[in-house]
Amino acid sequence: MLVIVALSFSLAIMVSIPAGVVANQDSIQSLTQSFNSTIIATEEQINQSTTLIECSTSTGGMFSGPPSDMSGPPSGMDRPSFPFTREEFYMNESVVGNISSIAGVKDVILFLVKSSSETTQETITTPMGDFTMSRPLYTITGVCLNSSLINEYSVLPTNITAGRNLREGDSGVLLMSLNLTEYYGVGVGGEVDVNGTSFTVIGIYDQAGQNSMETRGVYMNLTDAQMTTDETGNVSRLDVYAEDVSVVDTINAQIQTMYSTEINAREISVQTYADRLANLQSQQTRYTELLNNAESTVAQTQSVATQEIIVALAATSLIVLFVMLYTVRERTKEIGTLKAIGFSSWSVMSQFMLEGIILSLAAGVVGIGIGTVGAPILSGVLLPAVNAFGSQTGGFRPATSLGSSTASAVVTPTIMLLALGAAVLLGALGSLYPAWRASRTRPAEAMRYE
Amino acid sequence: MSEAVNEAVLKTEKVTKVYTMGKREVRALSDLDLQVNKGEFVAIMGPSGSGKTTLLNVLGCLDKPTTGKVVLDGVDVSKLPERELYKIRRNKIGFIFQTFNLLPYLSACENVELPMENTKRPKKERRQRARELLKLVGLSGREEHRPQKLSAGEQQRVAIARAMANDPAIILADEPTGNLDTENKYEVVRLLANLNINRGTTIVIVSHDSQVASHTERMLLLRDGRIAKEKQGLHLVKKKLMCPYCGSKIQSNDERCPSCRKRL
Repeated sequence: MLVIVALSFSLAIMVSIPAGVVANQDSIQSLTQSFNSTIIATEEQINQSTTLIECSTSTGGMFSGPPSDMSGPPSGMDRPSFPFTREEFYMNESVVGNISSIAGVKDVILFLVKSSSETTQETITTPMGDFTMSRPLYTITGVCLNSSLINEYSVLPTNITAGRNLREGDSGVLLMSLNLTEYYGVGVGGEVDVNGTSFTVIGIYDQAGQNSMETRGVYMNLTDAQMTTDETGNVSRLDVYAEDVSVVDTINAQIQTMYSTEINAREISVQTYADRLANLQSQQTRYTELLNNAESTVAQTQSVATQEIIVALAATSLIVLFVMLYTVRERTKEIGTLKAIGFSSWSVMSQFMLEGIILSLAAGVVGIGIGTVGAPILSGVLLPAVNAFGSQTGGFRPATSLGSSTASAVVTPTIMLLALGAAVLLGALGSLYPAWRASRTRPAEAMRYE
Repeated sequence: MSEAVNEAVLKTEKVTKVYTMGKREVRALSDLDLQVNKGEFVAIMGPSGSGKTTLLNVLGCLDKPTTGKVVLDGVDVSKLPERELYKIRRNKIGFIFQTFNLLPYLSACENVELPMENTKRPKKERRQRARELLKLVGLSGREEHRPQKLSAGEQQRVAIARAMANDPAIILADEPTGNLDTENKYEVVRLLANLNINRGTTIVIVSHDSQVASHTERMLLLRDGRIAKEKQGLHLVKKKLMCPYCGSKIQSNDERCPSCRKRL
């Protein structure tokens, strides 16, 4: 009985280690995939808009406005100042005229991006404690619905899952992200309240892969957006398209000089294709670095796992070996009797081989049981942890928040079958020598008087 | 039943067995000649160290003689390799041990079936035969009992049934009564005697108990590795269905002589 317990533990280790390794590999793989898809999505976007010069006020981007309320750490700590607070700036629509008049400008598309007045509570875990902060529930994007612009440039979300996309002349309707419709529980045709104005949902888009950001948002007619957000006549972003790639830099320079004051005050930022490409490349470098980190820890894990499995394999077959040797020794007289009454050496040997295999198999079944239940704990104890990010957290998050997820080991049927096979094999291997010893017992041993 | 037959079942010719213990050579058997005829009930006696066990090992193909010849049922077994010998042990010899040597985790019936394993007999027939043999040794109804549930005498009777399983040419018993009390001792000896009379089984027992040996028909006294003396036993008279003490007529299964009341 004790033997089965000892054996089953070493087999449980054998089960959980590969499970842990597989889990680590899986998490690295999905990390790589999410990184790659982010890079590809960004790349596509940039390639589509080689003639684009993006002028945006400092409201756009990832932090759609400052948090309007924050409740600090619960245990009487000083409330730290929130680092992302910044003012919102908007440009007047009239700048379009100035920019359009620059030679070589083909089209200018207006956007108004502003946070909803409705907020949501979010908890952020930091080394200083947990903070609950309220942030805007979603982003309102107003788009100039000029059909020639919509058709030519990437203006609206593309992956519509229900209903239809916005088109020229739409008013009082909006396009809503999938996660927001889930939040509200509305479908196409439903009524939604945006900053106090009622809109009809005309279509739903899947936010995943859309700018690779999982933000909640609505898209609507620019005028509607300006009205509901009290920003009449204001825009937050201008997408300036040049007639040809060759004039992009000239146009960029002219815009830079035209708005140098605002740009220096960081109220407006102007980005060209080249800038964005440079950004992308630096991002890519960082991703690669992270992946290399992760891969090297996985490689480390694997070498540790290999060593541990070899130890477990050796332990298992040694346990079988010693147990069977003991058994054979204890039962010398019985074996002698069997041979004296006419059992062949071969049948004695196969009998003991079978016994060793059954012993090991029984332990294997128990071990797989223990391993299945204890794999996450066992692999956690036995394997070094894999963390792709190490200390460099913050900044960006990949599309799916897998970056810092710790691998949780799951014992798959394949691993179970392999473990059972290993149990049979090790049982056979471990009992080979004892069984041979048994088969060589002299039949005269039966005469021994104990 | 088979007095007239003088056919040798077991025959040894100048059998010598030498054990080397370190540098010393111990001659356990020296030029031993022995013949056991079909249907005989023979006892081999002798003081300890006289070579009784060695002789039995050699006769039972458990050990090979250093020189000499052992012919069992017409086959010279001293020349056979181990891969052939196990068949001889299985088919031609039935072994009875002093310590019974039943497998503790098998039932009485399974123990009796054991020698029939690896034979061509179908499973059902083996079971059937095991039951018959247990009935023959007076253990019907105890087939499913494990050895530890049986008394010493009963265990030895199971062992006798096991020895008979493959209808061997000869049964070799090593001190079969050595671990038994007086009551069981006689029961086992009587059982062996009855098997000899009723079924014509050839039996050789090794015993240092002269009372047990006297119930056989021929006693061989072993000394220094050779047969020193030979005398007739009571069994011979019993075979003729005559009381050895008063000469009156007896039945083969009588425990005591009906006229003089002496134990047979």
